[in-house]
Amino acid sequence: MITQPEINRPIGQEHDVPVMQLRNVSKSFGTNDVLRDFSFDLNKGENVVVLGKSGSGKSVLIKCIIGLIKPDSGSINVLGKNIPELNNHELDKIRAKVGFLFQSNALYDSMTVRENLEFPLRRHKAKMTKTQIDELVVEALTNVGLAHTIDMRTSELSGGMKKRVALARTLILKPEIILYDEPTTGLDPITGKEISELMRELAKKYNTSAIIISHDLNCVRIVADSIVMLIDGKCYAQGKYEELQTSNDKKIQEFFI
Amino acid sequence: MKQGVLMRFLNETGDITRFAGRFFKEAFKPRYEIGEFLRQCFFIGYKSLPLVAITAFIMGLVITIQSRPTLVEFGAEAWLPKMVSVSLVREIAPVITALICAGKIGSGIGAELGSMKVTEQIDAMEVSGTNPFKYLVATRIMTATLTIPILVVLADAVSLYGGYLGANIRGVVSWDLYWNQVFDTLAFSDVIPSILKTFFFGFAIGTIGCYKGYNSNKGTEGVGRSANSAVVISSLLVFILDLLAVQIIDLLNLT
Ligand SMILES: Nc1ncnc2c1ncn2[C@@H]1O[C@H](COP(=O)(O)OP(=O)(O)OP(=O)(O)O)[C@@H](O)[C@H]1O
Ligand SMILES: [Mg+2]
Repeated sequence: MITQPEINRPIGQEHDVPVMQLRNVSKSFGTNDVLRDFSFDLNKGENVVVLGKSGSGKSVLIKCIIGLIKPDSGSINVLGKNIPELNNHELDKIRAKVGFLFQSNALYDSMTVRENLEFPLRRHKAKMTKTQIDELVVEALTNVGLAHTIDMRTSELSGGMKKRVALARTLILKPEIILYDEPTTGLDPITGKEISELMRELAKKYNTSAIIISHDLNCVRIVADSIVMLIDGKCYAQGKYEELQTSNDKKIQEFFI
Repeated sequence: MKQGVLMRFLNETGDITRFAGRFFKEAFKPRYEIGEFLRQCFFIGYKSLPLVAITAFIMGLVITIQSRPTLVEFGAEAWLPKMVSVSLVREIAPVITALICAGKIGSGIGAELGSMKVTEQIDAMEVSGTNPFKYLVATRIMTATLTIPILVVLADAVSLYGGYLGANIRGVVSWDLYWNQVFDTLAFSDVIPSILKTFFFGFAIGTIGCYKGYNSNKGTEGVGRSANSAVVISSLLVFILDLLAVQIIDLLNLT
Protein backbone atom coordinates (compact mmCIF):
# COMPACT_ATOMS: atom_id res chain seq x y z
CA MET A 1 0.00 0.00 0.00
CA ILE A 2 1.11 3.52 -0.69
CA THR A 3 0.96 5.77 2.31
CA GLN A 4 -1.41 8.61 1.76
CA PRO A 5 -0.25 11.54 3.81
CA GLU A 6 -3.58 13.34 3.68
CA ILE A 7 -5.27 10.62 5.74
CA ASN A 8 -3.01 11.16 8.73
CA ARG A 9 -2.89 14.90 8.48
CA PRO A 10 -6.25 16.62 8.36
CA ILE A 11 -6.06 20.12 7.00
CA GLY A 12 -5.97 22.90 9.51
CA GLN A 13 -4.59 20.93 12.42
CA GLU A 14 -1.01 20.78 13.61
CA HIS A 15 -0.26 24.19 12.23
CA ASP A 16 2.90 25.92 13.37
CA VAL A 17 4.72 22.65 13.75
CA PRO A 18 8.07 23.19 12.08
CA VAL A 19 8.89 20.51 9.52
CA MET A 20 12.14 22.22 8.74
CA GLN A 21 14.49 24.36 10.77
CA LEU A 22 17.63 25.98 9.41
CA ARG A 23 20.08 27.43 11.90
CA ASN A 24 23.09 29.56 10.96
CA VAL A 25 23.69 27.78 7.67
CA SER A 26 26.83 29.05 5.96
CA LYS A 27 28.30 28.01 2.65
CA SER A 28 31.09 29.49 0.60
CA PHE A 29 32.76 28.44 -2.63
CA GLY A 30 36.37 29.55 -2.33
CA THR A 31 36.19 33.24 -1.51
CA ASN A 32 32.57 33.50 -2.61
CA ASP A 33 30.46 33.57 0.57
CA VAL A 34 27.07 32.51 -0.72
CA LEU A 35 25.18 31.83 2.51
CA ARG A 36 26.06 33.52 5.79
CA ASP A 37 24.30 32.37 8.93
CA PHE A 38 21.02 31.75 7.18
CA SER A 39 18.26 30.79 9.63
CA PHE A 40 14.67 30.00 8.85
CA ASP A 41 11.69 27.84 9.86
CA LEU A 42 9.12 26.14 7.68
CA ASN A 43 5.87 25.10 9.32
CA LYS A 44 3.62 22.28 8.33
CA GLY A 45 1.25 23.20 5.53
CA GLU A 46 3.05 26.46 4.83
CA ASN A 47 4.20 27.66 1.40
CA VAL A 48 7.19 29.99 1.63
CA VAL A 49 8.60 31.81 -1.35
CA VAL A 50 12.29 32.68 -1.39
CA LEU A 51 13.04 35.88 -3.27
CA GLY A 52 16.55 36.90 -4.17
CA LYS A 53 18.66 38.23 -6.99
CA SER A 54 20.19 35.95 -9.56
CA GLY A 55 23.29 34.41 -8.05
CA SER A 56 22.28 35.20 -4.48
CA GLY A 57 22.38 31.52 -3.53
CA LYS A 58 18.76 30.42 -3.70
CA SER A 59 19.54 27.21 -5.54
CA VAL A 60 22.49 26.57 -3.23
CA LEU A 61 20.15 26.98 -0.27
CA ILE A 62 17.65 24.35 -1.33
CA LYS A 63 20.41 22.01 -2.49
CA CYS A 64 21.80 22.18 1.03
CA ILE A 65 18.36 21.24 2.33
CA ILE A 66 18.15 18.12 0.16
CA GLY A 67 21.77 17.19 0.92
CA LEU A 68 23.24 17.73 -2.55
CA ILE A 69 25.56 20.40 -1.18
CA LYS A 70 27.10 20.14 2.26
CA PRO A 71 27.01 23.43 4.16
CA ASP A 72 30.24 24.59 5.81
CA SER A 73 28.47 25.06 9.12
CA GLY A 74 25.04 25.25 10.68
CA SER A 75 22.27 22.74 11.12
CA ILE A 76 19.46 21.82 8.75
CA ASN A 77 16.74 19.94 10.51
CA VAL A 78 14.25 18.29 8.15
CA LEU A 79 11.44 16.14 9.58
CA GLY A 80 13.48 15.71 12.75
CA LYS A 81 16.79 14.76 11.13
CA ASN A 82 19.89 16.93 10.80
CA ILE A 83 20.74 16.61 7.11
CA PRO A 84 24.51 17.31 7.15
CA GLU A 85 25.05 14.50 9.66
CA LEU A 86 23.15 11.77 7.83
CA ASN A 87 24.74 8.90 5.94
CA ASN A 88 23.57 7.99 2.45
CA HIS A 89 21.03 5.47 3.59
CA GLU A 90 19.37 7.85 6.04
CA LEU A 91 19.46 10.62 3.46
CA ASP A 92 17.59 8.44 0.97
CA LYS A 93 14.84 7.89 3.54
CA ILE A 94 14.38 11.64 3.99
CA ARG A 95 14.59 12.25 0.26
CA ALA A 96 11.66 9.93 -0.32
CA LYS A 97 9.59 12.44 1.65
CA VAL A 98 11.02 15.59 0.12
CA GLY A 99 10.30 16.49 -3.49
CA PHE A 100 12.75 18.59 -5.48
CA LEU A 101 12.00 20.39 -8.73
CA PHE A 102 15.22 21.31 -10.48
CA GLN A 103 15.68 24.71 -12.07
CA SER A 104 16.82 22.99 -15.27
CA ASN A 105 14.11 20.28 -14.96
CA ALA A 106 16.80 17.58 -15.02
CA LEU A 107 14.65 15.14 -16.97
CA TYR A 108 16.58 12.03 -18.02
CA ASP A 109 16.94 12.53 -21.74
CA SER A 110 17.80 8.91 -22.46
CA MET A 111 14.40 7.85 -21.15
CA THR A 112 10.76 8.31 -22.10
CA VAL A 113 8.35 10.35 -20.02
CA ARG A 114 7.01 7.16 -18.46
CA GLU A 115 10.48 5.93 -17.51
CA ASN A 116 11.29 9.32 -16.06
CA LEU A 117 8.32 9.14 -13.74
CA GLU A 118 8.90 5.49 -12.88
CA PHE A 119 12.49 6.11 -11.87
CA PRO A 120 11.89 7.62 -8.40
CA LEU A 121 9.12 5.10 -7.72
CA ARG A 122 11.26 2.09 -8.55
CA ARG A 123 14.14 3.51 -6.56
CA HIS A 124 12.37 4.63 -3.42
CA LYS A 125 9.54 2.10 -3.32
CA ALA A 126 11.03 -1.15 -4.48
CA LYS A 127 8.04 -3.19 -3.36
CA MET A 128 5.48 -1.62 -5.68
CA THR A 129 3.86 -3.79 -8.32
CA LYS A 130 3.81 -2.94 -12.00
CA THR A 131 0.12 -2.01 -11.97
CA GLN A 132 0.52 0.28 -8.96
CA ILE A 133 3.38 2.04 -10.68
CA ASP A 134 1.44 2.41 -13.91
CA GLU A 135 -1.54 3.86 -12.08
CA LEU A 136 0.57 6.40 -10.25
CA VAL A 137 2.36 7.46 -13.42
CA VAL A 138 -0.88 8.06 -15.25
CA GLU A 139 -2.34 9.89 -12.27
CA ALA A 140 0.69 12.15 -11.93
CA LEU A 141 0.70 12.98 -15.62
CA THR A 142 -3.03 13.64 -15.65
CA ASN A 143 -2.55 16.05 -12.74
CA VAL A 144 -0.33 18.22 -14.94
CA GLY A 145 -2.50 17.70 -18.02
CA LEU A 146 0.01 15.70 -20.04
CA ALA A 147 -1.37 12.16 -20.03
CA HIS A 148 -0.97 11.94 -23.81
CA THR A 149 2.82 12.40 -23.67
CA ILE A 150 3.43 9.24 -21.67
CA ASP A 151 5.38 7.40 -24.34
CA MET A 152 7.21 10.38 -25.81
CA ARG A 153 10.92 10.98 -25.42
CA THR A 154 11.67 13.96 -23.23
CA SER A 155 13.58 15.59 -26.09
CA GLU A 156 10.31 15.79 -28.04
CA LEU A 157 8.65 17.97 -25.41
CA SER A 158 8.43 21.75 -25.41
CA GLY A 159 10.01 23.75 -22.60
CA GLY A 160 6.75 24.20 -20.75
CA MET A 161 5.84 20.55 -21.14
CA LYS A 162 9.23 19.56 -19.75
CA LYS A 163 8.62 21.72 -16.73
CA ARG A 164 5.26 20.08 -16.15
CA VAL A 165 6.67 16.57 -16.55
CA ALA A 166 9.42 17.49 -14.11
CA LEU A 167 6.74 18.72 -11.74
CA ALA A 168 4.86 15.43 -12.11
CA ARG A 169 8.05 13.52 -11.37
CA THR A 170 8.64 15.61 -8.27
CA LEU A 171 5.13 15.02 -6.98
CA ILE A 172 4.78 11.35 -7.82
CA LEU A 173 6.13 10.20 -4.45
CA LYS A 174 3.55 12.37 -2.67
CA PRO A 175 6.23 14.22 -0.73
CA GLU A 176 5.51 15.98 2.56
CA ILE A 177 7.84 18.83 1.73
CA ILE A 178 8.42 20.15 -1.76
CA LEU A 179 11.30 22.34 -2.88
CA TYR A 180 10.54 24.17 -6.12
CA ASP A 181 13.40 25.88 -7.96
CA GLU A 182 11.80 28.44 -10.27
CA PRO A 183 8.74 26.42 -11.27
CA THR A 184 7.34 29.04 -13.67
CA THR A 185 10.45 30.52 -15.22
CA GLY A 186 10.44 30.28 -18.99
CA LEU A 187 6.72 29.61 -19.23
CA ASP A 188 4.11 31.83 -20.84
CA PRO A 189 1.97 33.76 -18.33
CA ILE A 190 -1.03 31.50 -18.81
CA THR A 191 0.84 28.23 -18.24
CA GLY A 192 2.73 29.93 -15.43
CA LYS A 193 -0.52 30.78 -13.75
CA GLU A 194 -1.82 27.24 -14.28
CA ILE A 195 1.27 25.78 -12.67
CA SER A 196 1.03 28.20 -9.75
CA GLU A 197 -2.57 27.27 -9.18
CA LEU A 198 -1.71 23.61 -9.45
CA MET A 199 0.92 24.06 -6.76
CA ARG A 200 -1.59 25.85 -4.56
CA GLU A 201 -4.14 23.11 -5.13
CA LEU A 202 -1.72 20.32 -4.34
CA ALA A 203 -0.61 22.05 -1.18
CA LYS A 204 -4.23 22.24 -0.02
CA LYS A 205 -5.15 18.73 -1.11
CA TYR A 206 -2.21 16.93 0.48
CA ASN A 207 -1.38 19.52 3.15
CA THR A 208 2.23 19.68 1.97
CA SER A 209 4.74 22.31 2.93
CA ALA A 210 6.83 23.94 0.27
CA ILE A 211 9.74 26.24 -0.36
CA ILE A 212 9.36 27.97 -3.68
CA ILE A 213 12.07 29.92 -5.42
CA SER A 214 10.61 32.36 -7.86
CA HIS A 215 11.06 35.75 -9.50
CA ASP A 216 7.61 35.62 -10.98
CA LEU A 217 5.48 37.98 -8.89
CA ASN A 218 2.26 36.54 -10.30
CA CYS A 219 3.30 33.12 -9.10
CA VAL A 220 4.44 34.54 -5.78
CA ARG A 221 1.10 36.21 -5.22
CA ILE A 222 -0.79 32.99 -5.86
CA VAL A 223 1.29 30.51 -3.89
CA ALA A 224 3.00 32.41 -1.09
CA ASP A 225 1.81 32.18 2.49
CA SER A 226 4.89 34.18 3.36
CA ILE A 227 8.02 35.45 1.66
CA VAL A 228 11.67 35.22 2.67
CA MET A 229 14.09 37.75 1.23
CA LEU A 230 17.51 36.20 0.64
CA ILE A 231 19.89 39.14 0.54
CA ASP A 232 23.63 39.03 1.26
CA GLY A 233 23.38 35.37 2.17
CA LYS A 234 21.01 36.07 5.04
CA CYS A 235 17.33 35.79 5.68
CA TYR A 236 17.00 39.56 5.33
CA ALA A 237 13.28 39.83 5.92
CA GLN A 238 10.25 37.59 6.16
CA GLY A 239 6.61 38.52 5.88
CA LYS A 240 3.41 38.42 3.90
CA TYR A 241 3.29 39.67 0.32
CA GLU A 242 1.44 42.89 1.23
CA GLU A 243 3.74 43.62 4.16
CA LEU A 244 6.88 43.37 2.10
CA GLN A 245 5.37 45.18 -0.87
CA THR A 246 4.69 48.23 1.26
CA SER A 247 8.03 48.07 3.07
CA ASN A 248 10.19 51.19 3.12
CA ASP A 249 13.45 49.27 2.87
CA LYS A 250 15.17 50.02 -0.46
CA LYS A 251 16.58 46.52 -0.84
CA ILE A 252 13.14 44.99 -0.43
CA GLN A 253 11.31 47.50 -2.59
CA GLU A 254 13.52 46.63 -5.58
CA PHE A 255 11.83 43.26 -5.96
CA PHE A 256 8.30 44.61 -6.18
CA ILE A 257 8.65 47.13 -8.98
CA MET B 1 45.36 29.91 -8.71
CA LYS B 2 47.65 29.25 -11.65
CA GLN B 3 49.37 25.93 -11.40
CA GLY B 4 52.30 24.60 -13.31
CA VAL B 5 51.74 21.96 -15.94
CA LEU B 6 53.45 19.34 -13.83
CA MET B 7 51.31 20.14 -10.79
CA ARG B 8 48.16 19.96 -12.87
CA PHE B 9 49.24 16.64 -14.33
CA LEU B 10 50.00 15.19 -10.91
CA ASN B 11 46.75 16.51 -9.47
CA GLU B 12 44.74 15.01 -12.28
CA THR B 13 46.55 11.70 -12.02
CA GLY B 14 45.79 11.64 -8.31
CA ASP B 15 42.15 12.44 -8.92
CA ILE B 16 41.80 9.72 -11.53
CA THR B 17 43.46 7.19 -9.23
CA ARG B 18 41.09 8.13 -6.44
CA PHE B 19 38.17 7.84 -8.86
CA ALA B 20 39.30 4.35 -9.85
CA GLY B 21 39.72 3.47 -6.17
CA ARG B 22 36.16 4.58 -5.51
CA PHE B 23 35.04 2.20 -8.23
CA PHE B 24 36.58 -0.76 -6.41
CA LYS B 25 35.11 0.40 -3.12
CA GLU B 26 31.56 0.89 -4.37
CA ALA B 27 31.06 -1.44 -7.32
CA PHE B 28 31.10 -4.70 -5.42
CA LYS B 29 28.69 -3.75 -2.67
CA PRO B 30 24.93 -4.13 -3.09
CA ARG B 31 22.72 -2.83 -4.50
CA TYR B 32 23.81 -4.19 -7.85
CA GLU B 33 22.57 -2.33 -10.88
CA ILE B 34 22.18 -5.37 -13.12
CA GLY B 35 19.58 -3.84 -15.43
CA GLU B 36 21.69 -0.81 -16.21
CA PHE B 37 24.77 -3.03 -16.64
CA LEU B 38 23.04 -5.16 -19.27
CA ARG B 39 21.73 -2.08 -21.03
CA GLN B 40 25.27 -0.73 -21.19
CA CYS B 41 26.62 -4.04 -22.48
CA PHE B 42 24.20 -3.68 -25.36
CA PHE B 43 25.14 -0.07 -26.07
CA ILE B 44 28.85 -0.29 -25.43
CA GLY B 45 29.57 -3.81 -26.61
CA TYR B 46 27.05 -4.83 -29.19
CA LYS B 47 26.88 -1.48 -30.94
CA SER B 48 30.65 -1.35 -31.35
CA LEU B 49 30.72 -4.73 -33.01
CA PRO B 50 30.39 -3.69 -36.68
CA LEU B 51 32.99 -0.95 -36.38
CA VAL B 52 35.48 -3.24 -34.67
CA ALA B 53 34.87 -6.04 -37.15
CA ILE B 54 35.34 -3.85 -40.22
CA THR B 55 38.53 -2.26 -38.91
CA ALA B 56 39.98 -5.60 -37.87
CA PHE B 57 39.18 -7.11 -41.23
CA ILE B 58 40.87 -4.29 -43.11
CA MET B 59 43.90 -4.34 -40.84
CA GLY B 60 44.34 -8.08 -41.38
CA LEU B 61 44.04 -7.70 -45.11
CA VAL B 62 46.34 -4.72 -45.36
CA ILE B 63 49.06 -6.02 -43.06
CA THR B 64 49.21 -9.24 -45.07
CA ILE B 65 49.44 -7.46 -48.40
CA GLN B 66 52.09 -5.11 -47.08
CA SER B 67 54.22 -7.86 -45.53
CA ARG B 68 54.37 -10.03 -48.62
CA PRO B 69 57.02 -8.14 -50.66
CA THR B 70 59.56 -8.20 -47.83
CA LEU B 71 59.08 -11.90 -47.26
CA VAL B 72 59.27 -12.61 -50.98
CA GLU B 73 62.60 -10.79 -51.04
CA PHE B 74 63.96 -13.27 -48.52
CA GLY B 75 62.29 -16.17 -50.28
CA ALA B 76 60.19 -16.74 -47.18
CA GLU B 77 56.77 -16.29 -48.70
CA ALA B 78 55.53 -19.47 -47.06
CA TRP B 79 56.01 -17.81 -43.70
CA LEU B 80 53.42 -15.18 -44.44
CA PRO B 81 50.60 -16.68 -42.32
CA LYS B 82 53.00 -17.25 -39.43
CA MET B 83 54.27 -13.72 -39.36
CA VAL B 84 50.96 -12.07 -39.94
CA SER B 85 49.13 -14.07 -37.31
CA VAL B 86 51.66 -13.24 -34.61
CA SER B 87 51.60 -9.53 -35.25
CA LEU B 88 47.83 -9.44 -35.57
CA VAL B 89 47.00 -11.40 -32.46
CA ARG B 90 49.72 -10.05 -30.25
CA GLU B 91 49.59 -6.41 -31.08
CA ILE B 92 47.49 -5.09 -33.89
CA ALA B 93 44.06 -6.47 -33.07
CA PRO B 94 44.17 -5.57 -29.35
CA VAL B 95 45.55 -2.10 -29.85
CA ILE B 96 43.40 -1.18 -32.83
CA THR B 97 40.28 -2.44 -31.06
CA ALA B 98 41.18 -0.52 -27.94
CA LEU B 99 41.81 2.65 -29.91
CA ILE B 100 38.52 2.33 -31.77
CA CYS B 101 36.78 1.80 -28.45
CA ALA B 102 38.60 4.72 -26.87
CA GLY B 103 37.17 6.85 -29.66
CA LYS B 104 33.69 5.42 -29.70
CA ILE B 105 33.06 4.34 -26.13
CA GLY B 106 35.28 6.87 -24.36
CA SER B 107 33.75 9.84 -26.10
CA GLY B 108 30.27 8.37 -25.79
CA ILE B 109 30.53 7.91 -22.05
CA GLY B 110 32.28 11.26 -21.59
CA ALA B 111 29.60 13.15 -23.49
CA GLU B 112 26.69 11.27 -21.98
CA LEU B 113 27.76 11.65 -18.36
CA GLY B 114 28.97 15.18 -19.07
CA SER B 115 25.61 16.32 -20.34
CA MET B 116 23.86 14.52 -17.49
CA LYS B 117 26.09 16.37 -15.10
CA VAL B 118 25.57 19.87 -16.48
CA THR B 119 21.80 19.43 -16.81
CA GLU B 120 21.63 18.24 -13.18
CA GLN B 121 20.40 14.77 -14.15
CA ILE B 122 23.06 13.25 -11.92
CA ASP B 123 21.80 15.32 -8.99
CA ALA B 124 18.27 14.27 -9.85
CA MET B 125 19.29 10.63 -9.61
CA GLU B 126 20.82 11.20 -6.23
CA VAL B 127 17.63 12.85 -5.02
CA SER B 128 15.68 9.87 -6.35
CA GLY B 129 17.41 7.50 -3.95
CA THR B 130 20.05 6.31 -6.37
CA ASN B 131 23.78 6.37 -5.94
CA PRO B 132 24.76 7.87 -9.29
CA PHE B 133 28.32 6.62 -8.96
CA LYS B 134 27.12 3.04 -8.81
CA TYR B 135 24.30 3.44 -11.27
CA LEU B 136 26.18 5.38 -13.95
CA VAL B 137 29.90 5.02 -13.35
CA ALA B 138 30.38 1.55 -11.90
CA THR B 139 28.18 -0.07 -14.53
CA ARG B 140 29.99 1.63 -17.39
CA ILE B 141 33.49 0.87 -16.14
CA MET B 142 32.48 -2.73 -15.56
CA THR B 143 30.98 -3.02 -19.03
CA ALA B 144 34.01 -1.52 -20.74
CA THR B 145 36.35 -3.80 -18.80
CA LEU B 146 34.42 -6.92 -19.73
CA THR B 147 33.30 -6.20 -23.28
CA ILE B 148 36.52 -4.90 -24.79
CA PRO B 149 38.34 -8.25 -24.32
CA ILE B 150 35.41 -9.96 -26.04
CA LEU B 151 35.61 -7.49 -28.89
CA VAL B 152 39.34 -8.17 -29.13
CA VAL B 153 38.83 -11.92 -29.45
CA LEU B 154 36.39 -11.19 -32.22
CA ALA B 155 38.83 -8.78 -33.84
CA ASP B 156 41.52 -11.48 -33.68
CA ALA B 157 39.33 -13.87 -35.60
CA VAL B 158 38.14 -11.37 -38.18
CA SER B 159 41.60 -9.94 -38.81
CA LEU B 160 43.02 -13.44 -39.33
CA TYR B 161 40.30 -14.02 -41.87
CA GLY B 162 41.29 -10.77 -43.54
CA GLY B 163 44.84 -12.12 -43.54
CA TYR B 164 43.67 -15.25 -45.30
CA LEU B 165 42.10 -13.21 -48.08
CA GLY B 166 45.18 -11.00 -48.27
CA ALA B 167 47.42 -14.01 -48.65
CA ASN B 168 45.30 -15.23 -51.53
CA ILE B 169 45.36 -12.08 -53.59
CA ARG B 170 48.78 -12.69 -55.04
CA GLY B 171 49.64 -16.18 -53.95
CA VAL B 172 47.64 -19.27 -53.25
CA VAL B 173 47.24 -20.53 -49.71
CA SER B 174 44.54 -23.05 -49.11
CA TRP B 175 42.07 -22.49 -46.29
CA ASP B 176 43.33 -25.55 -44.36
CA LEU B 177 46.97 -24.72 -44.83
CA TYR B 178 46.47 -21.15 -43.71
CA TRP B 179 44.71 -22.03 -40.49
CA ASN B 180 47.08 -24.92 -39.77
CA GLN B 181 49.98 -22.54 -40.01
CA VAL B 182 48.24 -19.94 -37.90
CA PHE B 183 47.40 -22.31 -35.08
CA ASP B 184 50.82 -23.95 -35.24
CA THR B 185 52.42 -20.58 -34.74
CA LEU B 186 50.19 -19.16 -32.08
CA ALA B 187 50.98 -20.46 -28.63
CA PHE B 188 49.04 -19.79 -25.46
CA SER B 189 51.82 -17.44 -24.50
CA ASP B 190 50.87 -15.30 -27.50
CA VAL B 191 47.16 -15.33 -27.01
CA ILE B 192 46.61 -15.21 -23.26
CA PRO B 193 48.81 -12.23 -22.32
CA SER B 194 47.53 -10.23 -25.26
CA ILE B 195 43.96 -10.81 -24.13
CA LEU B 196 44.76 -10.19 -20.49
CA LYS B 197 46.12 -6.77 -21.26
CA THR B 198 42.90 -5.78 -22.95
CA PHE B 199 41.05 -6.00 -19.62
CA PHE B 200 43.31 -3.17 -18.53
CA PHE B 201 42.63 -1.27 -21.75
CA GLY B 202 38.92 -1.61 -21.15
CA PHE B 203 39.20 -0.54 -17.54
CA ALA B 204 41.25 2.50 -18.53
CA ILE B 205 38.84 3.53 -21.27
CA GLY B 206 35.79 3.16 -19.05
CA THR B 207 37.40 4.92 -16.10
CA ILE B 208 38.69 7.89 -18.06
CA GLY B 209 35.41 8.35 -19.94
CA CYS B 210 33.44 8.28 -16.69
CA TYR B 211 35.91 10.47 -14.82
CA LYS B 212 35.84 13.14 -17.49
CA GLY B 213 32.07 13.08 -17.85
CA TYR B 214 31.31 12.87 -14.15
CA ASN B 215 33.54 15.85 -13.41
CA SER B 216 32.39 17.90 -16.35
CA ASN B 217 32.40 21.64 -15.84
CA LYS B 218 29.33 23.77 -16.13
CA GLY B 219 27.94 24.47 -19.55
CA THR B 220 27.63 22.64 -22.83
CA GLU B 221 31.16 23.66 -23.75
CA GLY B 222 32.36 21.55 -20.83
CA VAL B 223 30.60 18.52 -22.28
CA GLY B 224 32.51 18.76 -25.56
CA ARG B 225 35.73 19.19 -23.70
CA SER B 226 35.03 16.15 -21.51
CA ALA B 227 34.33 13.96 -24.51
CA ASN B 228 37.40 15.22 -26.29
CA SER B 229 39.86 14.80 -23.45
CA ALA B 230 38.36 11.41 -22.60
CA VAL B 231 39.40 10.20 -26.06
CA VAL B 232 42.83 11.80 -25.96
CA ILE B 233 43.77 10.54 -22.52
CA SER B 234 42.37 7.05 -22.92
CA SER B 235 44.07 6.57 -26.32
CA LEU B 236 47.33 7.64 -24.78
CA LEU B 237 46.77 5.33 -21.83
CA VAL B 238 46.18 2.41 -24.17
CA PHE B 239 49.64 2.89 -25.64
CA ILE B 240 51.26 3.35 -22.25
CA LEU B 241 49.58 0.22 -20.90
CA ASP B 242 50.61 -1.65 -24.02
CA LEU B 243 54.19 -0.62 -23.50
CA LEU B 244 54.04 -1.76 -19.88
CA ALA B 245 52.45 -5.04 -20.90
CA VAL B 246 55.21 -5.76 -23.39
CA GLN B 247 57.84 -5.09 -20.77
CA ILE B 248 56.17 -7.31 -18.23
CA ILE B 249 55.65 -10.16 -20.69
CA ASP B 250 59.25 -9.81 -21.71
CA LEU B 251 60.46 -9.84 -18.11
CA LEU B 252 58.45 -12.94 -17.33
CA ASN B 253 59.99 -14.61 -20.35
CA LEU B 254 56.63 -15.39 -21.84
CA THR B 255 57.78 -14.52 -25.34
N1 LIG C 1 28.96 24.00 -7.42
C1 LIG C 1 29.36 25.28 -7.31
N2 LIG C 1 30.67 25.59 -7.28
C2 LIG C 1 31.08 26.85 -7.15
N3 LIG C 1 30.27 27.92 -7.05
C3 LIG C 1 28.95 27.69 -7.09
C4 LIG C 1 28.42 26.36 -7.22
N4 LIG C 1 27.08 26.44 -7.21
C5 LIG C 1 26.78 27.74 -7.10
N5 LIG C 1 27.89 28.50 -7.01
C6 LIG C 1 27.93 29.96 -6.83
O1 LIG C 1 27.03 30.28 -5.80
C7 LIG C 1 26.34 31.48 -6.12
C8 LIG C 1 24.86 31.26 -5.99
O2 LIG C 1 24.44 30.36 -6.98
P1 LIG C 1 22.93 29.92 -7.10
O3 LIG C 1 22.87 28.93 -8.21
O4 LIG C 1 22.45 29.46 -5.78
O5 LIG C 1 22.19 31.25 -7.51
P2 LIG C 1 20.64 31.49 -7.62
O6 LIG C 1 20.25 32.40 -6.52
O7 LIG C 1 19.93 30.20 -7.71
O8 LIG C 1 20.54 32.28 -8.99
P3 LIG C 1 19.50 32.11 -10.18
O9 LIG C 1 18.29 32.91 -9.82
O10 LIG C 1 20.21 32.70 -11.35
O11 LIG C 1 19.23 30.67 -10.35
C9 LIG C 1 26.80 31.89 -7.50
O12 LIG C 1 27.71 32.94 -7.34
C10 LIG C 1 27.47 30.69 -8.05
O13 LIG C 1 28.56 31.08 -8.84
MG1 LIG D 1 19.02 29.11 -9.14
